[in-house]
Amino acid sequence: MKAYFTYFKLKFITGLQYRSAAWAGIATQFFFGFVYIMVYIAFYESGGDNLPMELPQVVTYLWLNQALLALVNQFSRDQELFKLIREGGISYELARPKNLYFMWYFKVIGQRLADVTLRFFPLVLVTSLLPYPYHFGLPFSLPHFLLFLLSLGMGTLLVAALTVFYPIITLLTMNEKGIVNFFITMADILSGIVVPIPFFPKFLQILSSCLPFQYISDLPFRLYVGNLSLQEGVIGIFLQFFWVVFLIFLGNCLMKKNLTRVVVQGG
Amino acid sequence: MKIYLKSLAMHLKGELEYRVNFILSFLSQILVFFTYYFVILALFTKFDHIKGFSLYEVLLCFSIIQFGFSFNEVFARGIDRFDRLIIEGGFDRLLLRPRNIILQVLCSDSDFVKVSRLIQAIIVLLVAVFHLPITWNFWKVLTLILMLFSACAIFFSIFLAAASYCFFTVQGLEVRNVFTDGGKHMAQYPIGVFSKGFVFFFTFIIPYAFVNYYPLLYFLGRKESIFYALSPLLVFLYIIPSILLFYWGMKRYTSVGS
Repeated sequence: MKAYFTYFKLKFITGLQYRSAAWAGIATQFFFGFVYIMVYIAFYESGGDNLPMELPQVVTYLWLNQALLALVNQFSRDQELFKLIREGGISYELARPKNLYFMWYFKVIGQRLADVTLRFFPLVLVTSLLPYPYHFGLPFSLPHFLLFLLSLGMGTLLVAALTVFYPIITLLTMNEKGIVNFFITMADILSGIVVPIPFFPKFLQILSSCLPFQYISDLPFRLYVGNLSLQEGVIGIFLQFFWVVFLIFLGNCLMKKNLTRVVVQGG
Repeated sequence: MKIYLKSLAMHLKGELEYRVNFILSFLSQILVFFTYYFVILALFTKFDHIKGFSLYEVLLCFSIIQFGFSFNEVFARGIDRFDRLIIEGGFDRLLLRPRNIILQVLCSDSDFVKVSRLIQAIIVLLVAVFHLPITWNFWKVLTLILMLFSACAIFFSIFLAAASYCFFTVQGLEVRNVFTDGGKHMAQYPIGVFSKGFVFFFTFIIPYAFVNYYPLLYFLGRKESIFYALSPLLVFLYIIPSILLFYWGMKRYTSVGS
């Protein structure tokens, strides 16, 4: 366990070095946050019936999305892991007397936590000072906030399990395009990062509730803004737990299977 | 022009050598495009209109911007990826040749996978136009064509201006995304729906509004003045400072070696 934690720490500390990249990221995310929010404001000013969320809730949701993007997004894949596979570095990894899956898993978490640590605070600080309608709001209630924290933690474990999944598939296909791109694009839509889940048509809401993607960020964010009841939140966290265990188990099995057939391409 | 067409043909041949890869990337691009499109579709299931613009009107707006953007991704890829030419020193080689330098940069790269987006944009455009009650006349057709051309022109100018910036910073510029992707995202909707400051910015600083807002108003019959129909022509003026900027940057270019 200690060895895995070291991997995490290593990635986390190196990740914290890339501060100027983070500033550029913050500026871009700030701008995009504005753009997305303005679209919603325009829609809300036009009016509509049965809107699933109130405007301040949507705005806070979108800011959370931007502030935590580095942690919860599913479109950035861990290039380093793909490179290991492409360039044969995986043979070194296999020589180490540890479980490869968990080495990768903790690296991914370390990287994501480092990225988000650098970006989160400036964005939250500035956006919570903005006037209405751009204001980043406080959590709905204390219990909601606590559940938000818990489910965000679980969401992190979940997104890491999914991120490790893609290189494992690549072990077999050798090409990270094609199928992996397909997965990532699907995940992108169904996670609610593009549009919050409550705005989906009904059948897509049902579909996405059967898949793991919406439990990464949509669940915690909706808890934060109070769009979900505490009860729904607790059920959601159980589902998160199920998906984490299931995906780690599945990933481990798949990795064992794929490693028996792995071909090291020089290196 | 002949040289450019020849280089396009060669890039296409090159890409088709990896046929499976090409087809897979082509398909995944269709999906990526669909995610953009999905945002609009999903939001219109909950809202009837955005400041008086209906779904098909927004889709028309969206398809014009996407058309211009993907057109440049395919045919002006060399300018889009200009920082690579500088970093790898390939630009020195181009300077030695006795041809127009911008033409050579255009010839240096192209990305045919993005043709899939171009096709999709045209399909969305056609669907939108057929669903809109438009009384066609000569000016309407002209407006539509001008909108498409000016969409290509605006992204060409932005790409070129961003490329000029590489002369100074060597590295590509992340702020660039704000103008291309961010602007693109906003211009998917009729720009008039946003707050005044943004409309001003995207009218006078980066003229997205002349691409698909003012002419759109004419096209949909909301404005009668012919100036609205011809406003995309102003966008073409925008190319001039971009070209000047490029040549000005080139004068100060120092090779990074390699």
